[in-house]
Amino acid sequence: MLTFPRRLLALLLLAVVAGVAGAQAQGEPIKIGFLIPLTGPLATPGQDMRDGFGLFWEQANHQIAGRKVQVITADTTCNPDQALTQARRVVHQEKVHFMVGPLCGHEGPAVAQVSKETGVPLLMDTAGADTVTKWDRTPTVVRTAVSASQIGHPWGDYMYKELGLRNVTFIGQDYTWGHEVTLGAVRTFTELGGKVAKIIWNPIGTRDYGPTIAAIPADTDGVSAVVVGVDRVRLFEAWFNFGMDKKKKIYGSYWMHQDALPQMDDRAVGLIGNSLHYATGLDTPENRAFTEAFARKYKRLPSWFAESAYTTGLWTKTAVEAIGGKVEDRAAFLKAVRSAKIKAPRGPLRLDEYDNPVQNVYVSKIQKIKHPVLGEVLTNVPVKTYPAVSQFWTWKPEEFLKRGPYQR
Amino acid sequence: MRGARLALAAAVVVAAAALPFVAGPFWMGLVTQMIVFGLLALSVDLLLGHAGLFSICHGSFFAVAAYTTAILHVRHGAPTLLAAPAGLLAGTLLGLVFGLAVRTRGVYFILITIAFGYVVWGVAHRWSSFTGGDNGVTNVPFPAVAGMRVESHTEYYYLALGVAALCALGYRVLIRSPFGLALRGIKGSESRMRTLGFDSNRHLYAAFVLSAALASLAGVLYVYYNRFVNPVAASFPVSVEAALMAIVGGSGTIVGPFIGSAIILGLRNWVSSFFELYAAIMGIVFIAAVLWVPEGLVGLAARVRGRAARA
Amino acid sequence: MTTSAILQAINGTSLAALLFLVASGFTVTFGLMRVVNMAYGAYYLLGGYVGLSIMQATGSFALAVVGGGAAVTVFGYLVDRFLIQHIGQNHLAQVLLTVGIAFVVGDVALKIWGGDSLKVPVPVSLRGAMELPGGMIYPTFRFLLIFFGAAIAGTLWLLYTRTQIGAVVRAGVDDREQVSATGINVDRLFVMVSALASFLAGMAGVVGGAFLTLYPGAEWEILIVALVVVIVGGLGSLGGAMIGALVVGLLDAYGRWLLPEFSYFVLFGPMAVLLLFRPQGIAGREA
Repeated sequence: MLTFPRRLLALLLLAVVAGVAGAQAQGEPIKIGFLIPLTGPLATPGQDMRDGFGLFWEQANHQIAGRKVQVITADTTCNPDQALTQARRVVHQEKVHFMVGPLCGHEGPAVAQVSKETGVPLLMDTAGADTVTKWDRTPTVVRTAVSASQIGHPWGDYMYKELGLRNVTFIGQDYTWGHEVTLGAVRTFTELGGKVAKIIWNPIGTRDYGPTIAAIPADTDGVSAVVVGVDRVRLFEAWFNFGMDKKKKIYGSYWMHQDALPQMDDRAVGLIGNSLHYATGLDTPENRAFTEAFARKYKRLPSWFAESAYTTGLWTKTAVEAIGGKVEDRAAFLKAVRSAKIKAPRGPLRLDEYDNPVQNVYVSKIQKIKHPVLGEVLTNVPVKTYPAVSQFWTWKPEEFLKRGPYQR
Repeated sequence: MRGARLALAAAVVVAAAALPFVAGPFWMGLVTQMIVFGLLALSVDLLLGHAGLFSICHGSFFAVAAYTTAILHVRHGAPTLLAAPAGLLAGTLLGLVFGLAVRTRGVYFILITIAFGYVVWGVAHRWSSFTGGDNGVTNVPFPAVAGMRVESHTEYYYLALGVAALCALGYRVLIRSPFGLALRGIKGSESRMRTLGFDSNRHLYAAFVLSAALASLAGVLYVYYNRFVNPVAASFPVSVEAALMAIVGGSGTIVGPFIGSAIILGLRNWVSSFFELYAAIMGIVFIAAVLWVPEGLVGLAARVRGRAARA
Repeated sequence: MTTSAILQAINGTSLAALLFLVASGFTVTFGLMRVVNMAYGAYYLLGGYVGLSIMQATGSFALAVVGGGAAVTVFGYLVDRFLIQHIGQNHLAQVLLTVGIAFVVGDVALKIWGGDSLKVPVPVSLRGAMELPGGMIYPTFRFLLIFFGAAIAGTLWLLYTRTQIGAVVRAGVDDREQVSATGINVDRLFVMVSALASFLAGMAGVVGGAFLTLYPGAEWEILIVALVVVIVGGLGSLGGAMIGALVVGLLDAYGRWLLPEFSYFVLFGPMAVLLLFRPQGIAGREA
């Protein structure tokens, strides 16, 4: 028979335990599965993503709404097979609340599949295959980066209207991202009345850009380049080595990103580097703060991969705060992600009804600037902004969808 | 000795059957993968361990079967009863073509299979309108036959286990048959077999096609497990690793390839979760296996047992 | 049209020069020692990276080329002495072992030099383009590479056909036991030939790294093309490696220009067909 003081003690203990248990459940860390390539040929953009994401959580003190944030990084090696395995691992073994990533376009659908299988939300960053937010959507998948053709469409417009080009040769990387960015530009360019002189496709990792250069038609009035990874530097070298800089003009539709610029030199100054939803030299308070912090911490300027990961961190924090930290409620979490309005370093962002961001696209030129921390560096500075560009450009979504994906 | 072997076998069977009850979906998935790739390694070993031919293109049959099944399901809505056998057939047909490689021997055979493997990989990669290129083919459904459909990873695990067990049994029959004996004879000394009147080319060709069929079956099992396939399935590392699995586990045996598959896949998963240079680790495993354990784990176990018995 | 055709021919030939450097070592190593060394691509990569570091430290391209070659020579010697020699004539074991070595080298290189594609800086005097007859502009470095490759090929050929050592090597390719029986130290011969082969591969890495760049995966890309060269030309034949390199280089350039979507077929198709009907290649000996 418990005496009164003992009963009181028992009740108190019970209360404390219940309180602690309740607090524990509430205070359990939020686990994020971060799927990026840490090794392999895209290790460097992967590193940029890791650094961008890391910077954000450091600034946020590794917590949201009183709960600690635990980032579990998994190496996908830019291989969909690995991405799939790692995604399944972080979901089943690490029990993450949601996933962020992957980087490579072709990994996107694979990881989306895991999200569909398990119901764990995925914030897709930076994989850009068009189909994920158009024809092949998954209710638990949302994109926070960009859809390939989204940056191609304004470029076609720019080439025709601002550059006055009429007969363009397109150099494109021969895989989904390359197809969609290139053909998106081809579409808008030709709809305005431009002619395609030729499209030259190169597989990723083309060793030798000599044959490509030699295949550029003599009567073209401009060359538009979509190249990724290693090829960005090779094309750059080949262009000058073959003396093409004296004969023709070349423009980067998707070419000279910040992470490739250290491999290039002053010959890049004055060239149009990209038509992209981010430019490192963008002069807004948010971007200035971001690039400053990044440069100070990592001793280099951030590329769009870094900004993208940083912004995804910002996005998740905004969404989770909106639901009071209850990230276990997947439906509420996804709803909050979908309704969030973000002021990212790259500009204002919100998702359209197809789960892709509506955002600015910047056509930028390479300039040499004097950076307070890094000294003289080459960087992309915007020369034209296309505000609030949707993945459907100026078409109606139904119209666009009916046409089907851009294919070679 | 016999009793111990049986007990071991029984323990393995029980463990395999009980796995889903003790392990989570991640482990089940991993073990399913081990079974699938073990089957692929087995197919490579039919040629390697029994016919003396080192083929580095079996990823091609694996991938072609996987793609065929996947595309039929996803793009044409075909039922399992059509898609699965079609995949098996497609890979085997490719085996009939690539089997011409048996006209060469030794290092030339190795090199020609490497080349074949690259051609298939290249096609999978570049013919993106058909194969989806790098994106691959996603959202392949679970198999369903006559109203019975696999609903979960657990059920699929049992299906894969069952198929692999049946294959192992069939394989056993094959390698103990006169055909199997002839193959090993050719591996030992082709000239002698020829003088005895065996048409070595015909035997090797048959073995090649059979191994391609087995690799294709592995491919079909793979695509239903992964629900996804892309050119990586046809890549050089996949084919080389299959051979390595056979060797590490024990070439020339039936369980060897499966053990090798378990070791390689387990190692990769375990190491990559904490160490960035896991490709180097895999390389070291290759080297170590070749230098110190060429007879594989099974052979090593036999060696140890032999020593223990003599002691 | 014809300027493009000529341009592609030069492209192909300059690539051929590079391929010859890698393939010649592989083919002679096989011909003489019956060793299939799948780590040649990794040797190329390693030599290139070392050369790059030397170039960054000293600014001397010549030093970088020699240094890259030397580094690989040392590494190759160690691999030969402590690993390959232990497994004898077993081709399967050789393939697996050397593939393993390539994996290790590739990963370690990734750790040290990172995953970016790096370019070996071309010496200032060789930068830019030169004007060829007919008004064609062509990168100076690549054009000179053709002469460099030809010079190496010529030197090797002379060594092979006109010197006593060359004669011994040729005899060894033909019949190793005989050579051994004549009292010549075959092992020392192997070491020298292997060292030379490694040196060439390492050198090729520095030179190739100047216009193709160095990056993870490059070791496999160059290896597979070098294999095609060796197969087409004939395993064990130096002359075959020259012919094979030219054929493959030109096929690659013209194939990618005229039939870009079939570029893999253009390269591997003829090789596969050739292998089926003439496995010893153009100039090789009967298998």
